[in-house]
Amino acid sequence: MLPFLNRLLFLVAILMLTNCANNSDPAADKSNFTRIFDNTQFNVSYYPIDMVQTLDGGYLVLGGRSLATSSFSGTYIMKADAFGNFVSGQEVDEKLVDPIGQLMYLNDKYYFFCMTAVGLQTQLIEIDATGAITNQTNVGTTYPAAAAQDGKNFLLSSYDNVNQLSVISSLTADGNINQSKGYTIGAGSNVDAPIVAHFVHTGPQLPFQVGKNAAGQYFFNGFYNYTFSLVFTDLVSTNPLGVVQGQQSSGGMSAVLSLDGGNYSVSLFNYGSNSLLPSARISSTSVTSATDLPGNSFPELVANATVRILPITLGTKSYILYGSTTKSKQIALYAYDKTSFKFSGSKYLGFSNPFEIASMTTTADGGLAVCGTTYVAGRFPRICLFKISMGTLQGSFE
Amino acid sequence: MRRVLLITTMMFTVWSTFGQLKTRRKAPKFSVGQNKKNTFLQKQFWVGFKAGTNLSQADPIKRYAVISATNYAAATLDKNYTSFQDLGSQATLEVTFQFKNLSISTQPTYSHNVITYSNQFQWINTQAANQSLSQKYSQRQGLDYMTLPLLLKYDVVGNRLRGYVHAGIFYSFLINALKTVTVSGVDIASGGTNNIASQPLIVGTKDLFTNYWGLMGGIGANYQMGNVKLVLDVTYKKGMSNITNVKNRFSNDQLSGIGDAQDDLKLNNIVISAGVLFPMRFLNSSFKSSDQN
Repeated sequence: MLPFLNRLLFLVAILMLTNCANNSDPAADKSNFTRIFDNTQFNVSYYPIDMVQTLDGGYLVLGGRSLATSSFSGTYIMKADAFGNFVSGQEVDEKLVDPIGQLMYLNDKYYFFCMTAVGLQTQLIEIDATGAITNQTNVGTTYPAAAAQDGKNFLLSSYDNVNQLSVISSLTADGNINQSKGYTIGAGSNVDAPIVAHFVHTGPQLPFQVGKNAAGQYFFNGFYNYTFSLVFTDLVSTNPLGVVQGQQSSGGMSAVLSLDGGNYSVSLFNYGSNSLLPSARISSTSVTSATDLPGNSFPELVANATVRILPITLGTKSYILYGSTTKSKQIALYAYDKTSFKFSGSKYLGFSNPFEIASMTTTADGGLAVCGTTYVAGRFPRICLFKISMGTLQGSFE
Repeated sequence: MRRVLLITTMMFTVWSTFGQLKTRRKAPKFSVGQNKKNTFLQKQFWVGFKAGTNLSQADPIKRYAVISATNYAAATLDKNYTSFQDLGSQATLEVTFQFKNLSISTQPTYSHNVITYSNQFQWINTQAANQSLSQKYSQRQGLDYMTLPLLLKYDVVGNRLRGYVHAGIFYSFLINALKTVTVSGVDIASGGTNNIASQPLIVGTKDLFTNYWGLMGGIGANYQMGNVKLVLDVTYKKGMSNITNVKNRFSNDQLSGIGDAQDDLKLNNIVISAGVLFPMRFLNSSFKSSDQN
């Protein structure tokens, strides 16, 4: 019996030595977390628009907030540290409303567009990594709808309500417009109703987007000729180079990612239904219809769902990652192999309370950060942030 | 299952005790020297069963929360743990080697431990006092472990009724974990007082915890009844390592969604057990176990 006890003692000692080190792990704490940024005010609501990871590993969130005195949304800038802990939140003056993504990084500063509540003039706002506003420039256009970074320039899609034009502009970081071109949304007194409803939040939120494809052509997802369309332009020609038409304000592209050549990863919405198409050949020089594109149907998504598309590399494999919101109010991530465009896996975020996607970005550690809106206690809109490690994603997608 | 185990243990105890009291056999003859015989008789193996109840205390090492406070103190998000209030249970197989007053013992134990905590949240409209919602999240965490301890026992006083102290180390293997969350609250923004009570959310949480080790010590008494010992002891178990799986803290979407993240914890217990020990050999001239000499 004594040799048995000796062995038992030895076994216990070995087990203790090998398992005693289950201490707090800062690396693990940074690589996987869920955060909900709560506020005790009953009558306030915050929602994210875009989010980036800052150089210190923290997260800068551009958000909107409800205003008691205006139909426009106010501007909210929030900073969280690398662990997702709240650092600061700034309710920007109510004179600056309807902020839009993307939140862009250039020369150690972050930039976004919003507009003045009076005059509806587009403003370029410069902030530092803490979220403090360091500069404000009047751009001059009205109703900013979408923005993107183009090297050291910014692309801006906006709506000219006087001339009823969808305007696409290229700007410097100083807010000076290099090039700009406007395209008619169509003649008539009520044609811009969906656009105005989008800005004052009385109607569906439309998936405005602007960008540049692999061939160097500019595109915007917005209204053209009575229809919500994907419009290609060189910012010079009077007429668009090509158009992918939607269904008035009820159908079209909900997200576009340019891959190479004439290839795109897109998502479509059409009278409430949604489909994802990780590889679509789209002509940028002719007029086509979005309804002709064969997509993978996703009836589990909410009607006319917000969709985000992100290329992501996990180890040796690259994916096209779609993020959206399900009818069960979870955030769904769908991965497609970037080479074969075959479905690779899915992951769902959030439970119990409703969750809606707003933005997602890759992180410095090879993982993914997803920002969205949750409804705390089932009713109070608050910003939430998910950080998912590369290993966790690989487990879901491979 | 626990009842069956308890009944079986009691039946075995009664049978063994009275069976041995009734037994009459001729005493064996020894041909060895008296000193060697005495030394030999002072050794004894005991095997037996114990069962009882335990009370648990969660000792936070580092606190975590899914909710991040933007306009109130983060400390208000700390979980309120109860301390040694929730009853658990355990069943133990004891194997003890005794030499004179000193014993070395291992007591593999299957235990069910319970820790409970709650969080409270409130949302108010400072401009309209009737707009208010308060919610309380009550969480009951059950943890099942198989514990392997190694103990030294020392009999301190008594003859037929003996007191003893014991101390040692243990290592606990996580077997299962289950959490029950109940949400309650009061909503006075709906034109009256709306008392909210949800159905319990029951979630498997084994991935959120891991094995741990600790130190233990306590006191007890055994009562010699025939050749068997009836045992009652009280032991304090001090967890020395984190029971939380730090890599899976946020892995459960059901819990993260309602704002729950597992703190780093040490688990302490007060364990009360009663049982019976059987001698594994009867060697003296009167057929009594060694400690009845």
